[in-house]
Amino acid sequence: MSYATLTQKRPLPLNLLISLFIILWVVLAAFPFFWTVWGSFKVEPDFFSRESWWNAIFGTYTQAQTGGTFTGDGYYGAWVTREFWRAVMNTAIVTVSVTVISLTLGTLGGYALARSGQRYAFWILIAALVFRAMPHITLVSGYLLPFFQLNIWGVLPTSIIVLVAINQPFTLWMLHSFFLSIPKDLDESAMVDGCTRFQAFRMVIIPVMWPGVVTTGLFSFLLAYNDFATTSMLLSADNQTMVPKISSFLGSVQEAGNVMYAVAAVVSATVPLFILVLFFQRQIVSGLTAGAVKG
Amino acid sequence: MAQIRLKNVSKRWNNFVGVDNFNLDIADQEFLVLLGPSGCGKTTTMRMIAGLEDITEGEIWIGDRLVNKLEPKDRDISMVFQSYGLYPNMTVYENIRFPLKVRKVPQDQHHERVMAASKMVELDDFLQRRPAALSGGQRQRVALARAIVREPNAFLMDEPLSNLDAKLRVSTRAQIKNLHHTLKRTTIYVTHDQIEAMTLADRVVVMSKGLIQQVGTPMEIYDRPANTFVASFIGSPAMNLVHGNIADGVFTGDKIRIEGLSKATNGAVTLGFRAEDATLAEGQGQIEAPIYSVELLGEATMISMRVAGELVSIKVGKDYRAEIGDSAKFNVPPAACHLFDRTSGARIVAD
Repeated sequence: MSYATLTQKRPLPLNLLISLFIILWVVLAAFPFFWTVWGSFKVEPDFFSRESWWNAIFGTYTQAQTGGTFTGDGYYGAWVTREFWRAVMNTAIVTVSVTVISLTLGTLGGYALARSGQRYAFWILIAALVFRAMPHITLVSGYLLPFFQLNIWGVLPTSIIVLVAINQPFTLWMLHSFFLSIPKDLDESAMVDGCTRFQAFRMVIIPVMWPGVVTTGLFSFLLAYNDFATTSMLLSADNQTMVPKISSFLGSVQEAGNVMYAVAAVVSATVPLFILVLFFQRQIVSGLTAGAVKG
Repeated sequence: MAQIRLKNVSKRWNNFVGVDNFNLDIADQEFLVLLGPSGCGKTTTMRMIAGLEDITEGEIWIGDRLVNKLEPKDRDISMVFQSYGLYPNMTVYENIRFPLKVRKVPQDQHHERVMAASKMVELDDFLQRRPAALSGGQRQRVALARAIVREPNAFLMDEPLSNLDAKLRVSTRAQIKNLHHTLKRTTIYVTHDQIEAMTLADRVVVMSKGLIQQVGTPMEIYDRPANTFVASFIGSPAMNLVHGNIADGVFTGDKIRIEGLSKATNGAVTLGFRAEDATLAEGQGQIEAPIYSVELLGEATMISMRVAGELVSIKVGKDYRAEIGDSAKFNVPPAACHLFDRTSGARIVAD
C-alpha cells in the first residue's frame, strides 16, 4: 500500500498530529546545529549575549567590532592562531588507522567466528560483548600507568591501539552477523571451484560483504572520530585530536574569543561527517538492511 | 579416469553417528545415486568425498590418490549445491568462468570454454545477468555450467532439483542425464526422491541412519529390495507390507491368505507385494476386505483397504468402479510376493 493512500485513509487530526510531531522532531534535532553554524560567524558577545538572543541573529556586536554582520574571526583564530589544522591531521591519522586496523582484524576474526563450529567461538563473542559494554574510561585508567612507565604516553599510536581495543568487540560482532547472513554454500562452492579458504574469503565473500564492511567501517570511524575519553587522557597537548582540542578551547574561557574558536572548530569538525555519510549512503543503507545477499 | 573408492568411511560428531562404516567402489563414468530420507547420511557422505567434511575414520580414494587430507580444491571434483551457491556479485558469465580463473587455466581458453558450457545448458541469452535476475531453473543451470566448465574427474550433485517446481524438475532431470551421457564423467548424485534415483542412476545406494541398506541397479532395488526399509522407500506407492504367519508355503493373516509360497520358511514373517502386481479376483480372493478409499489417477485407479492392520494399496484399471465400504477381492501371484523377516526386516531369500 502506497504512502498516499495511507495518508488519505487517516483522519485529518491524526495527519496533523503526525506532521506536527515530525516538524517538532526535525526542529529539535536540527536546530542546535544550524544555530551553531549561524553563530560561528559571530563574535562572542553576540553568540553568548547576555542582553538579548536577537543579538546572535542580527550580530549587533559583530557589526560593532568587525564592521560586518558576519565574521570569520572564529575560524581564523581556531585554524591559524591555535593551529586546529594539526588536530585535524591527528584525527585523520587516528581515525583512518583505527578503521583500517579494526576492519582488517574484524573481517578476518568475524569470518572465522562465523564459520567456526567450535563452542569457544560463542564464548569469544560473549567476552567481546562484555568488553564492549564496559565504559571506555575503564580501559584508559588501567593503561595510564603502564603507558607512563613505558614512556609511550601522549603519542598517536598509543591511542590508536587503545581505540582499536575499544572498538574491536563491536566490529567483531557486527561483521560476524554479516558473515552469518552469507550462506555457507558460497564458501564451499568457491573451495570446490579451486579456492583456498583465504581465496574464498577474499574473492567471493568480501565482495558480497562490501556493504557490511562499509557500514562497520563507518561506525568504527565515528567511534574514533568522536572519542573524547581516550584521546583526552592519552594524548599530550601537541598531539591532540579534534574533540579534545575543542574541549581545550572551551576550557580556557578567561581568554576572550576562545569560545568562538571552539564553536568554529565544532562546525569544521562536522563537515567531513556530512561528506562521508553522503558519499557512502547507498552502501550504508544496504548494510543496515542486510540479508539482501541471497544467492 | 576416476574410480572413487570409499573404504570403511565413518563420520561421527561426538556420540552421533552420521555415516557408519561406508564401503563402496564407484566405477569410472558411473552415475551413482545416494538415496535416502533426510538425515540418513547421504549428503554427509558426498561432502566427505568433496572434502567439505572431515572423515572420522576410513579412506577415500579418487582415482589412485588417497584424498583424506586433501583440500577440496585439490580433489579435482566439482559440485552442484542444493541452494546453487552462485556468486551474487558476478554475472552468469563470470560465475561460469570463476573455476577457470582461480585454477589459472590459460586466459585464451576461457571464453571458448565458458561458451561451450553455457551452450550445453542453454544459458546463452543470460550471460550478462546477475543471479538475482534469474529464475530458479536458470540459476540451477548456471550452477551446472559452472560445474562442467572445468571438466573435472567427477561431479557431485547435492539434491540439485529439490528447489525447482515439478515441471522444471522433469526437464532438468533429463538435461542432467543427457549431460552425463555427453561428458562421460563419474557422477555422484544425492537425492531423497526415489523417482530421480530410478530415472538417473546406473546404480543406487539406499541409505538409512548412516548405513547402506542396499546397492544395486534401479531395477534390482525395485524388484528385489533387500529389506523392508528399501521396500517401503522405493516405488510410488511404496510396496505393501503385511504382517502374518507362514506355514508350509501358505501365508495367512487377517483378511489375507496366499498359497504357493516357498516352503523353506515357517513362522512370523512380513509379506510384501507391489500395488500393480495384485489382480482382481473372480470368486474366492486371496485378499478380501472392505474398500477404505478409491483414488482416480487418470491412467489407473488406486484402491486401498485395511489388511492385517495395514493399509494396503492396489492398482486397478481405470474403469474399475466401487464405493468406499464395498467388499473387494484380489489375488496376488506368489511370484510377485516378497518375504521379509519379521524382526530384522531382512529379505528372506527363497531356496
